[in-house]
Amino acid sequence: MFDLIREIGQTLRHNKLRTALTGFAVAWGIFMLIVLLGMSRGVYNGFTAMATPENAMAISMWPGVTSKAHKGYKEGRRIELRTSDKEALLDADPTHFEDVWQVKNLDSAYISTNKDYISGSLYGHFPQEAKRAKLNIIHGRFINQRDMEMKRKVLVLEEKNAQILFGDAEKALGQRVDAYNLSWQVIGIYRHDWENGTYIPFTTAMSILGDDGKVSETTVKLRNVSTRNDGDNAEQKVRETMGAVHGFRSDDKSGVYIWNRFNNYLQAMSANEILSMSVWIIGLLTLLSGIVGVSNIMFVSVRERTHEIGIRRAIGAKPRSILMQIVAESVAITTLFGYIGVVFGTGVTAVIAKLTEGTDFLKNPTVDLSTALNVTIVLIIAGAFAGLFPAIKATKVKPVEALRDE
Amino acid sequence: MNTSHWEMIIRLTDINKTYPGAVPLHVLKGINLEIEKGEFVSIMGASGSGKSTLLNIIGILDNYDTGEYILDGTLIKNLSENRAAELRNRMIGFVFQSFNLINYKNAVENVALPLYYQGVPRRRRNIMAMEQLERMGLSDRAHHLPSEMSGGQKQRVAIARALITNPSIILADEPTGALDSQTSKEVMNVFRSLNEQGMTIVLVTHDPGVGAQTNRIIRISDGNIVTPTPIIPNTAINV
Repeated sequence: MFDLIREIGQTLRHNKLRTALTGFAVAWGIFMLIVLLGMSRGVYNGFTAMATPENAMAISMWPGVTSKAHKGYKEGRRIELRTSDKEALLDADPTHFEDVWQVKNLDSAYISTNKDYISGSLYGHFPQEAKRAKLNIIHGRFINQRDMEMKRKVLVLEEKNAQILFGDAEKALGQRVDAYNLSWQVIGIYRHDWENGTYIPFTTAMSILGDDGKVSETTVKLRNVSTRNDGDNAEQKVRETMGAVHGFRSDDKSGVYIWNRFNNYLQAMSANEILSMSVWIIGLLTLLSGIVGVSNIMFVSVRERTHEIGIRRAIGAKPRSILMQIVAESVAITTLFGYIGVVFGTGVTAVIAKLTEGTDFLKNPTVDLSTALNVTIVLIIAGAFAGLFPAIKATKVKPVEALRDE
Repeated sequence: MNTSHWEMIIRLTDINKTYPGAVPLHVLKGINLEIEKGEFVSIMGASGSGKSTLLNIIGILDNYDTGEYILDGTLIKNLSENRAAELRNRMIGFVFQSFNLINYKNAVENVALPLYYQGVPRRRRNIMAMEQLERMGLSDRAHHLPSEMSGGQKQRVAIARALITNPSIILADEPTGALDSQTSKEVMNVFRSLNEQGMTIVLVTHDPGVGAQTNRIIRISDGNIVTPTPIIPNTAINV
């Protein structure tokens, strides 16, 4: 085996330019494959990072307007979401509805300190929101159950907003701000790629404008669902329950606006799979042109070396050892230059990862070990294939060739 | 001269060979030939006489149609490619007109190559190759490439390569064809001394001067051996 490697090393060194030119096509193919795989990986990572169970296994809804007459009501009636829906939904399907949380938004708020002010909404949320939205709490804490029960006037600021209001995010903690003509205590600072709202306890938000029971958004967290069908059933159940409570037909799609996050998630997952598959196909086809190049050059090489192969045959090389040598040469070229492609490809993906750091659609666009392993297997098989036909041709060289003059 | 026991190393009996084609070409028309162990024989003939075909058959490089060829006690007939390669490797040492060294391998590696195909470990075959090069007086050229050597040196490397497997015969095809007269003489001296050490040598040539330096000349013409020349050293010159 070691001898064979030596033999190959010698012939490849003897034909440096040819080896390099052939290798370039393979290196390029692998480079493209790695970069493409890295990018698709990045898209996938970005997606899965956003898809927590809290927002992927869920159905959200917003107030709507009926489009069909029902039980003596005319169409065009506005349906509000209410705090009381929570109990109704939890009772409707305990096997699939794990939890319900609601949001109350207080729009057009000015949040001010004696230094500066920001404008925006106050979002009344449940404590679960921190996990769902993947808020990174950098100072203090998020809203907790105690805040909910006490209807505390506390809020959680986004890092940059806190800097505007207090000059320094860390200093904001424990300080007071004014909003809706009330004084609020800052209990936490968070950092997030794109969220910058200000969070307050849901119960506090409900009571600020006189509790009318109307909420802005309701989300049902699902469990025991795995297929699209499960998702459809859950959505139907939500609509039926809401229809029964609020008096609209269960087939009236506009009574409440429903976003089936779970089915969306499944769709995005299959889209990701298709993306990853297409990337493999494109990458492999690019590689294929490199492989055809190797095969081509091996044919040329066999032709050029007919005399040499004849000499080897005359002094006792069996057809099999000639076959082995040509195939091994081809595998050596493909793997060697393939790995150069892998190294450059991973380098470029690392650079892309550095440049896109912090963006949400591309996260860690690099290839993992198993992909590298797959690529290695692909390279060896491809190299063997590229070498096989020229090698078979080489075995047809008769030892008499050695006697012919060059 | 050294044939006290009549041991035939090559025995060809009624060998026929026809190249198929639109007009089949009957190149060898029933060749009968015996060469004893330790002989130094030359085969001479005009081009197209069937001399090369005969050489190919003796060298197990080509098949024949009918007849029988026994080389050192082994019947050479209808062999598979693998078996033929094995027998060539072990029984025949080739020396070619154009040396046929592999140009990107140095002298030692070229000489050791037949042993590579026998699966001899690298260290051992390099030691053996060095021994053969020393025997040829070329130990100082061991790590030179063929392009860095003269014709005579190259041919001596080729002879070293032919000897390394300790073959039954040396088969030389116009070994002096590419050399000047001075170097030709040197190479012939090498063959002569190898023959004196007991090696059987069959040499194909069209140079009468070279043929004359062998112990027996076999003339081939139109697919037949014309004059079964008796063994009379250095007298069979017939230009």
